Amino acid sequence: MKSKNNGKDFCMFALPGMFCFFAVVIVPFIYGVYLTFTDWNGVATVKNFVGFKNFGGVVKDAQFWSSLLLTFKYVIFVVIIVNVLAFAIAYLLTRGMKGENFFRAGFFTPNLIGGIVLGYIWQFVFSRVFVSIGESTGWKLFEVSWLSDPTNAFIALVVVSVWQLSGYMILIYVAGFMGLSEDVMEAASIDGASGFVKLKSIIMPLMMSSITICLFLTLSRAFMVYDVNLSLTAGAPYGTTEMAAMHVYEKAFTSRQFGVGQSEALILFIIVACISGIQVYLTKRQEVEA
Amino acid sequence: MRKKVMARLVSVVLIMVLMMTMLTGCRFGFASDPDDPNAEEKKEPIDTSTDTFEYDASLNGTNITLLNTKAEIQVALEEMGVEYEKKSGVHVEVMPVSDDSPYTKMISLYNSGNPPTIAILDTTDVIALAEEKGVDMSEEKWVSEAEGYLTKINGKIYSFPLCIEGRGIIYNKTVIEKALGETFDPASITTLDEFQAFLDRLVENGIEKPVSMAKEDWSLGAHHLQYIYETYDGTSEGAQKVVEEIKAGTLDLNTYNRMSEFLDIFDVLKEYNVAKGDPLGADYDEMAIDLADGKTAFWFNGNWAWPNLVEAGAEETDEYGFLPYFMNNDKEDFANQMIQGAPSKQVMVDRQIATEKEQAAGRQFLNWIVFSEIGQQMLVKTCNIIPPFQNNPYEPSDPLSRDIYEKVHAQKAFSASVIVPNDHWAVLGAAMQKYLAGRSDRRELMESIQDYWDEQE
Amino acid sequence: MKQTTIGGTKRKVTNILAMLGLIIIFIAYMFPFIMVVINSLKQKRDIIKSPFSWLFTIKGLSFDNFVKAFTQMDFLNAFKNSLIVTVSATVLVTLLAAMLAYYIVRHNNGISKLTFGLMVASMIIPFQAIMIPLVSIYGGTLNLLNHRITLIFLHTGFSMAMSVFMFHGFIKGNVPLALEEAAYIDGCTHSQTFFKIVLPLLKPIISTMVILNSLAFWNDFLLPSLVLTDKKLLTLPLSTYSFYGTYSADYGTIMAGLLLCVVPILVLYVALQKQIIGGVVAGAVK
Repeated sequence: MKSKNNGKDFCMFALPGMFCFFAVVIVPFIYGVYLTFTDWNGVATVKNFVGFKNFGGVVKDAQFWSSLLLTFKYVIFVVIIVNVLAFAIAYLLTRGMKGENFFRAGFFTPNLIGGIVLGYIWQFVFSRVFVSIGESTGWKLFEVSWLSDPTNAFIALVVVSVWQLSGYMILIYVAGFMGLSEDVMEAASIDGASGFVKLKSIIMPLMMSSITICLFLTLSRAFMVYDVNLSLTAGAPYGTTEMAAMHVYEKAFTSRQFGVGQSEALILFIIVACISGIQVYLTKRQEVEA
Repeated sequence: MRKKVMARLVSVVLIMVLMMTMLTGCRFGFASDPDDPNAEEKKEPIDTSTDTFEYDASLNGTNITLLNTKAEIQVALEEMGVEYEKKSGVHVEVMPVSDDSPYTKMISLYNSGNPPTIAILDTTDVIALAEEKGVDMSEEKWVSEAEGYLTKINGKIYSFPLCIEGRGIIYNKTVIEKALGETFDPASITTLDEFQAFLDRLVENGIEKPVSMAKEDWSLGAHHLQYIYETYDGTSEGAQKVVEEIKAGTLDLNTYNRMSEFLDIFDVLKEYNVAKGDPLGADYDEMAIDLADGKTAFWFNGNWAWPNLVEAGAEETDEYGFLPYFMNNDKEDFANQMIQGAPSKQVMVDRQIATEKEQAAGRQFLNWIVFSEIGQQMLVKTCNIIPPFQNNPYEPSDPLSRDIYEKVHAQKAFSASVIVPNDHWAVLGAAMQKYLAGRSDRRELMESIQDYWDEQE
Repeated sequence: MKQTTIGGTKRKVTNILAMLGLIIIFIAYMFPFIMVVINSLKQKRDIIKSPFSWLFTIKGLSFDNFVKAFTQMDFLNAFKNSLIVTVSATVLVTLLAAMLAYYIVRHNNGISKLTFGLMVASMIIPFQAIMIPLVSIYGGTLNLLNHRITLIFLHTGFSMAMSVFMFHGFIKGNVPLALEEAAYIDGCTHSQTFFKIVLPLLKPIISTMVILNSLAFWNDFLLPSLVLTDKKLLTLPLSTYSFYGTYSADYGTIMAGLLLCVVPILVLYVALQKQIIGGVVAGAVK
């Protein structure tokens, strides 16, 4: 497609999509960055330029940094578990098993439950189901609600996030496996490659583009976790499970420090951008092109 | 193969539908169940025959918007809007807030250039917004009817107090009397020691853990903790004075008697808490059920808990009421005699974007609520609100609101309400949770409170 | 199934084990959804007191919640609104993103690289950070809020980055350049090549993206709540606002409302399953 009417191609193929994207995401983002340098509180009619004062506020906000540290910990668990689990399930679901479609529909259901219902159902699981298991078995682990202990509440957050995110990633991995040429798989089987070898040397490289995407998506979504955090624990018990994105939101709207909140959001963005940039760069190198 | 799966899927769905249909069939058999909590609530009829309110004819045809941040009265407000339109010709569009906080919604609405003409807000929001956006309502007619419930910002009134809400220790009289086998007079308990002795008697008579207390940060950080400010002398000015002194460092929490007294009663409630084994695992909705069923006898909460109690099976004829938050053993202390009841939602009219006509229509709506016979009735009966206006002759019908209404009129309530930064309940609610869970002591809690105030400008 | 005929007993055993493990995980995944279904038939008191009790042991089990949700949500109108917004935005974003991604893959120039880089980075922007700037630009400055078109446009813009990213990965990995070159030799124009040769090859990823995007648009609450205030335009999630109270929520009705909302998505998912499978590239290159 490297012909002379490149300009026409550009206008037809690239321009409409780019216009939507720039108008909706980039322009407001730039405006948002500008706001971090003002003392605007979100509603006032005047904005004064204050330089880096808001960023000074970020440095002083100890709670932000500790929430960021917690978020890192959370991201590591979530990214690994989600991808291993989703990859394995997607693999099993694309082998032509009986009832495959039924299974897939089931694994799709986590995508359907959000907001307050999600929080409610899972609070129930952790505060009631587990506690009643604890009562009947006498296991210390289930004696009190997981959500009232900082460590267990953190684990609960990871569990629910894994449940929800892997439901999403399974879809992408399934599409990836479906995109693999059946011939490749067949050939591998006939050649007598054992399961593990087949996985490592044939499937993984071909699945690399799906893996890149899923890693990237889990990474960014885990860093930005907000809904699950809010509806499941809302930071409880006593503020120990407040992740970065939730803290940013609270800072801007509950503590009413709009400029500081907006700056924290920007810093969070830069950190996550760097990390996922490295990840995409590393995994893209492994991809095989058709 | 695939077709087979599809067929099976379809059949599963069909079976489920069939099962559900059968179940509904079953349900009709129980339809006469008198305890069905979902039975249509009967509505008190509104008498619209008399209306002496004078409407401004020039406002006919004006459209105004009303932002409602009190979700439970959404439907009621819509009904009020319809009535008002019938009479005045002004159309009121009621906008709900469900997911966001009121303040976030206001920010986004102002930024979108489409703010509501009238907004129901919390007091802190009014203070943040009013001077720049609000209509000065100091000269409005309703001001004289709301004496004692007005919020002034630099001497001016920008907001209309919508309702009185009160809090305290809710009791279920029937449960107590059944357990003790004697009549219960709430006024017989006058001090903390008496309250504790009473709790012990309940324990002896089979109610093992008689108290419910919510773990939610708004309950702990606002409704419990704010007693340390509000009981200073029972006035809003006094409460503000304490805040200023803590901020300035001239009042030491370690020696401030209201601080230790507050923790004394809090410790008592904590000790008899039904969820003592796992206080942070308590469930709000279950507390209502426990109180209605008689598993507990007390619940620390406010009159807004009534809808929850109704869902739990309580009825308007049941006897519920409030005990004061007993701070010490001094019978003469007002804190042991009165419950707190203060205006909780404030209504502001926009002057930044709204036209003169819209502002006038909004202000007329507020006056209509206070002075028209229909507005007065609807505020109390339809919205189920305790009105802060002296001229409103109607009494609320649910036992909790009625108790507060009666206490307000019998001078058994103090109206102190402290104005604290918006994140007070969230930040200090977390500190209180830690204390409730037994993971911090008094010293650490007081340090958190002091630290919080030190950080404020 | 192919594998079972090729392998021996060992393979069969591992298959059965895998199947067993899958069933266990499957139940764990389905569990919350089943809870929603069961509890949507109960009254609030029963939901709180005995959320797990088996269907038949509770009296007063009924469709009341569904009826209430249906009427209070003004379901048919909200459904129509959601449908218009979701379908238009999904079609728009799928088409535009596929074309843009195709352009980026095949033109490795500066603009491509910059756009792609920005898109990848933009997926990390927390929505809350651009929420206020967004409303002040589209509402305060341009005064475009409260129109369906605006919502469709914003949905399209927000999901563009991820869609392009997904198409990009798929086109790079699964669409052989050789096919296109053959098409050019046969005299196809670029757009003919794209629509007749490339697009059909994208079926699996298109199906996936249609599901993911329509799911996101259908269930989104925050963006529509910023854009739409007119009651006549409210989408399904927005129309459930009346079930939420300040201190407590009407769980039974919320769950019934949730089920009413998600059924179309489930149907779409089951329907698109076929497409995902039908779109396998195998053999196309030969």
